[in-house]
Amino acid sequence: MAESIRAANIEAKNADGRAVNPLLPCMCRVIRITEETPDVKTFRIQTPDGAKPFDPMPGQLAMLSVMGVGEAMFSVTAKDDDWIESSIKKVGQLTEALHSLSEGDLIGVRGPYGNHFPVEDIKGKDLLFVGGGIGLAPVRSLIRYALEHREDYGSLDVLYGSRSYGDLVFKSDIFENWPSRCNVHITIDNAEDGWDGHVGFVPTYLEEKAFSPENKAVVLCGPPIMIKFCLASLMKMGFSKENVITTLEMRMKCGVGKCGRCNIGSKYVCLDGPVFTMSELDDLPDEK
Amino acid sequence: MELKKDKLTEALLLLRGASNVILPVSNDGAPVFKLWDGVAEPCLSANTSLPPKDLLFPRSEKMYDYNVKTGNISEISSNKKQTVFGIRPCDVRSIENLDHAFLESGYTDSYYKTRRDGLTTIALACTETARTCFCDSMGLSPNDAPGADIVLNDRGDAYTVKSNTEKGEEITRLWKSLLSKETGKASKASGSVVCDFKARADKDLPEKLVARFDDPMWDKLSKACLGCGCCSFICPTCYCFDIGRENHGASGTAFRCWDSCMFSDYSRMAGGHDPRPSKKERLRNRYLHKLAYFNLRYGVTLCVGCGRCVDKCPANLDVTRAMDIISEGVRADG
Repeated sequence: MAESIRAANIEAKNADGRAVNPLLPCMCRVIRITEETPDVKTFRIQTPDGAKPFDPMPGQLAMLSVMGVGEAMFSVTAKDDDWIESSIKKVGQLTEALHSLSEGDLIGVRGPYGNHFPVEDIKGKDLLFVGGGIGLAPVRSLIRYALEHREDYGSLDVLYGSRSYGDLVFKSDIFENWPSRCNVHITIDNAEDGWDGHVGFVPTYLEEKAFSPENKAVVLCGPPIMIKFCLASLMKMGFSKENVITTLEMRMKCGVGKCGRCNIGSKYVCLDGPVFTMSELDDLPDEK
Repeated sequence: MELKKDKLTEALLLLRGASNVILPVSNDGAPVFKLWDGVAEPCLSANTSLPPKDLLFPRSEKMYDYNVKTGNISEISSNKKQTVFGIRPCDVRSIENLDHAFLESGYTDSYYKTRRDGLTTIALACTETARTCFCDSMGLSPNDAPGADIVLNDRGDAYTVKSNTEKGEEITRLWKSLLSKETGKASKASGSVVCDFKARADKDLPEKLVARFDDPMWDKLSKACLGCGCCSFICPTCYCFDIGRENHGASGTAFRCWDSCMFSDYSRMAGGHDPRPSKKERLRNRYLHKLAYFNLRYGVTLCVGCGRCVDKCPANLDVTRAMDIISEGVRADG
């Protein structure tokens, strides 16, 4: 049996380095809401005194709450000097409440939680980002990081698809901001009027592009079925599971490895994840 | 040192002067932990039907008040001193388990820590075992409680008093005038209790359990489960919780409360996906968490052999049966 995976003691600290209660949110203001698709909005969040609530690494998580409704974990899709952003799809009660917020409203925020994309380990490598639907949200934090630290990484390719043009998120990034700075490949599932780009599913497009596995790390995020087929495609193309990185979602209440909900085997997604390589996932029981 | 039984009330009253005293009293004949009123007779004949975990991890606990209009959030914390008297070795061990989960690895839980710092434990070693006890199979002794601040052993007309910690020393100082030298003529043998039952919980159990993740035995073992969550609530080591809110207009209170991994909506996500969709996956996760995953993470088993779940399960599910099946490598119907 593997040796005991005792996590080092993590002290939750505020900006002054003072230990704080990790379950206590701070009230923050939603300063900008961007409607990405009919059911996805991006929320830009700032503390009332104009700072970012915390400084997350790419891939880390934030627990957001609408007081009186509930609390849930979301990936932080972007950060700047004085804000963080999360992109949220309307799927349940809490996300419904988040979607009905207006700019200026207050929400509870705590974090950052979880591990992050292995920005150090993938230094010097070419990066291929593969996203489907809202799955681009966590990946975007790493794309932005790689663009900010451009000299640390080789070529950057973003391959992203969704059901329709209307369901593509971060349109200003994928059509305006990124194409001049990295290779962006966009596809939609079915042809539609006004779309002259690629049509087809993400895994098929991935194979058509025939990316070389040579010195390349893949960050793969999207619906489970897309991940399954993309992984098969990547294996066919000669990638190894150690070099394919993904993020997991699981129901969470605490975010600090106590409430018990988000375990897969002996790992807690909130603490040991959400970022795993595909080979790490192979070692975990099939309860994802 | 020993404390004569006729001095017990006096000793408890001294404790009550310094902190809240919680001890087992009879509730229709069944011992339950209650805040002692200074009068009630301690009921020490058997272990309590409910564990003492809510002294540290209340079934419902207020976390913070909030106001959406003002943006104000104020933490609620409880720092009362509590002394629990008559806690059994298994339940003392369960507190050590909870310490691992809440304090020692990963993040420190502020709510738990405040209560834990304020808690003193006076354990009573067992003089007999119940039908469902299996503590010694889980690697602890009914005769001692090394994790307690004080351990009492029943010697007939007196208790021997052993202090393990600084908190324990404080109590022996408090009791100074009541304690006497051990007379050595014990009328009732204690310190030699042996559990009749032996679950075959060998040290390889975690590996064996993980290796049988896909075994059809989980279907059989979980067949009778009602998903009522009773096992989790009466378990001294189960610590899963939910966080909820009580809302009154713009303000309200966030609280956390016990939860159970046996409930059908426990891990169901918004949108409907559930990684543990049936009772088979839920029971398997509960047993594996207790007997394998917790070991992997913290180096100890999350079951103390108190036997409450074996005694109280309305469907007669028995964790020791699962341990037997796995340790012996037999099939569930074998």
